[in-house]
Amino acid sequence: MKMHELSMVESLIEELLKLQKEHGWERICAIRLRIGAMRQVIPEIMHFAFDITVQGTALEGAKLVLETVPLKKKCLTCKNMWTDGDEALFLCEKCGSSDVELVEGMELEIESLEVE
Amino acid sequence: MPRKINIKRSVLAADEEFASKIRERLRKEGTLMVNLIGSPGAGKTTLLEATLGEIPFSCAVVEGDVATSRDAERISKTGTPVVQINTQGGCHLEAHLLWKALDEIPTSGLDVLFVENVGNLVCPAEFDLGEDYKVAVCSVPEGPDKPLKYPHLFHEAGAVLLTKVDLIPYIDFDGDLFWGDVKKLNPLASCIEVASLTGKGIDAWTDVLGRWLMEKRR
Repeated sequence: MKMHELSMVESLIEELLKLQKEHGWERICAIRLRIGAMRQVIPEIMHFAFDITVQGTALEGAKLVLETVPLKKKCLTCKNMWTDGDEALFLCEKCGSSDVELVEGMELEIESLEVE
Repeated sequence: MPRKINIKRSVLAADEEFASKIRERLRKEGTLMVNLIGSPGAGKTTLLEATLGEIPFSCAVVEGDVATSRDAERISKTGTPVVQINTQGGCHLEAHLLWKALDEIPTSGLDVLFVENVGNLVCPAEFDLGEDYKVAVCSVPEGPDKPLKYPHLFHEAGAVLLTKVDLIPYIDFDGDLFWGDVKKLNPLASCIEVASLTGKGIDAWTDVLGRWLMEKRR
């Protein structure tokens, strides 16, 4: 079974090669990703999949940096905003309302690149 | 000397373009799309068979499996248009696969498109197919601890269906724990208990689908 991190890496590499061609960069040296804590990404698997998949491509040797974005929640009732490590809790810590949305923590994005 | 370039782009941008195309196409057609996600054996196909027998709307189904067309064959017997996608190792469906499958389904005038994802509680939650709602399908024999173990799916689901509730007399299943955890993760989800083989809960499920369809067309 193909792990979803491998699908994500394949998609990432497709995007990066497209960007490299568009901008005429000689080399992409490093890639910084922001990955929300709610996403089911295991960093070790992401790194492993990346290192294997870039071999033989223009991205071979590029460094992958993963930044985890913590869960930031907002209560739509009392406007309280807070950060916690509990993926399971969507009740406001201040007023107890269940009208809570996730403001940060669902990201799966390329934040920046180092290029030559 | 390397220089830094700021980019704000999704890692899954290429596939998300297909999800957007699907979403736009189905918005124009007024077709509700539901992405059914659950473990292998949760009862997704059986749920669909029971639903298609009762639902007062025109439906089509896309089946996703690693291999075989067994599920599509079962759906075919209900007289519902169905397409089978085989991922050949992929543990989840992706939008580009669904976009291609839609070539084989006339969506003009279609009320509901059901997509039965590959059996898996983890990976399908990560990939937007262009659906209106994800639906988490979890069965009594799997135990009541699945919501907290798979928070992404249960947090995002528009509905959580607990299947095989006819087995509750024979299995030690803490329903209060299960639904309590679902409420913590997703206070707004529609929560329905079903037993596809007896028909229990199917009415409540088709009511939810009807409400979603009405809201989409408003």
